[in-house]
Amino acid sequence: MAPPTDASQPRLAAGCRWGAASKTGSGEERVVLFPEGAIKLQGTGLQVLERCDGSRTFGEIIGELQKQFDTADPEKIRADISIFLEQLQRKRIVDY
Amino acid sequence: MAATAAVWRLINYPITKFLNYPMLPNPLALIAEVTHRCPLHCVYCSNPLELAGTQGELSTEEWTSVFRQCGELGMLHAHFTGGEPLARTDLTELIAAARGSGLYTNLITSGIGLNEQRLSTLVGAGLDHIQISFQDSQEEAANWIAGAKAHAHKIELSRAIRKHKVAFTVNLVVHRQNLDHLEEMIEFIDELSPERVEIAHTQYYGWALANRAALLPTQAQLDKAVAIVAEAEKRFAGRIRLDSVVPDYYAKYPKACMGGWGRRLMLINPAGKVLPCHAAEVLPGLSFENVREKTLEWIWQESPSFRRFRGEDWMPEPCRSCERRGEDFGGCRCQAFLVAGDATVTDPACSLAPSHGLVEVAKREANGRAAIAQPARASSFVQLQKQAADLWTYRTNPE
Repeated sequence: MAPPTDASQPRLAAGCRWGAASKTGSGEERVVLFPEGAIKLQGTGLQVLERCDGSRTFGEIIGELQKQFDTADPEKIRADISIFLEQLQRKRIVDY
Repeated sequence: MAATAAVWRLINYPITKFLNYPMLPNPLALIAEVTHRCPLHCVYCSNPLELAGTQGELSTEEWTSVFRQCGELGMLHAHFTGGEPLARTDLTELIAAARGSGLYTNLITSGIGLNEQRLSTLVGAGLDHIQISFQDSQEEAANWIAGAKAHAHKIELSRAIRKHKVAFTVNLVVHRQNLDHLEEMIEFIDELSPERVEIAHTQYYGWALANRAALLPTQAQLDKAVAIVAEAEKRFAGRIRLDSVVPDYYAKYPKACMGGWGRRLMLINPAGKVLPCHAAEVLPGLSFENVREKTLEWIWQESPSFRRFRGEDWMPEPCRSCERRGEDFGGCRCQAFLVAGDATVTDPACSLAPSHGLVEVAKREANGRAAIAQPARASSFVQLQKQAADLWTYRTNPE
């Protein structure tokens, strides 16, 4: 298991799909459903996973989020997203 | 006031592990026992000994209404089980209705009654996930445990499943009669290339409790199994998700049965009765509501049966003052009743339970004799029943 590379195209793993979106006090929230479980996503986690559509590359996803959060350290954004996706890959929620 | 308190506790779920369900105030999943009819006769079946008959089964429309209510309650998953769900000729409509209500659909099946064409119809209707259980890796042993010649078909079907866009779990129920070749079974599973594997030690309810002496493993079998499962986890990492269920008789503390009574799950039996778990119908003094008469929301929030063991007010000692009470909820109410004869006491599987000696006795008995499986073969099920009569009782079908 390795972290994603710039050319990786992250996507939801087989058997995982988006569930309903809902509004909560702290903004939009969506769930990803998978066998025997679900994770709830909001904020930046949601923004990252919504971009994991199998066509955007990891490099592009990082670029988009670095642009959007231009006051944050771009290297920190890259490192955080890489770890996030690697964790989801290990849990069989994301493939890349 | 009591109702408000119960609901408040539901909203305040403790933070759960990353992979578990998120915090939600509503039930999270429905277990839909759509029929108790089944072509298999597995000796560890979790269905109650008193099965629901075909006559009173909920109709397509009644199940459709159930799924709509589940969606409105914010539930996430519908697990289709039975018996054998494929025995329902309207299964495609039921899957479509559940999926249409926003639920993630899971079919727990033996695969008997499923060919490629029906599989593709089900996937087309919105089936997200299919789970097939194998009784063993060796055909003769598998058919002996299931009381039916099902093994070869399951392998064939597993290959067909991989051609469709549906998630696939292989479930392996392990016990005294098959644990000695767990390594071989794991090898076998790997070849079926599922996304997920469940290795579940038998839990002693229904038919499994009746057959406990033949199923309870020895300590040596268990120790070896734990090491093999840990090894398999490494082997599968990043490729196949492995979930394993530990045998609570050998654990120090009880399992958090169903994630707590009336806390996460609702089970509806073929006749529409709503239960907090598979076995709850055995509990004396409780009556369970029916979806034909009450809404799911009312049953979840208000029914006396769902509130009976929710939260901590019902707890006896040593649970009441135990720091683990928010993790295991005192264990399983049905096991407390089935083993200790009282649903309101600490689960006897807990090493701190006053009745734990009863579990120790069962284990001593299991460890006192060698576990050597001797699969029987017969030309008919009736013959097989006769041959195995000294060892165990096969699950039979409802009237």
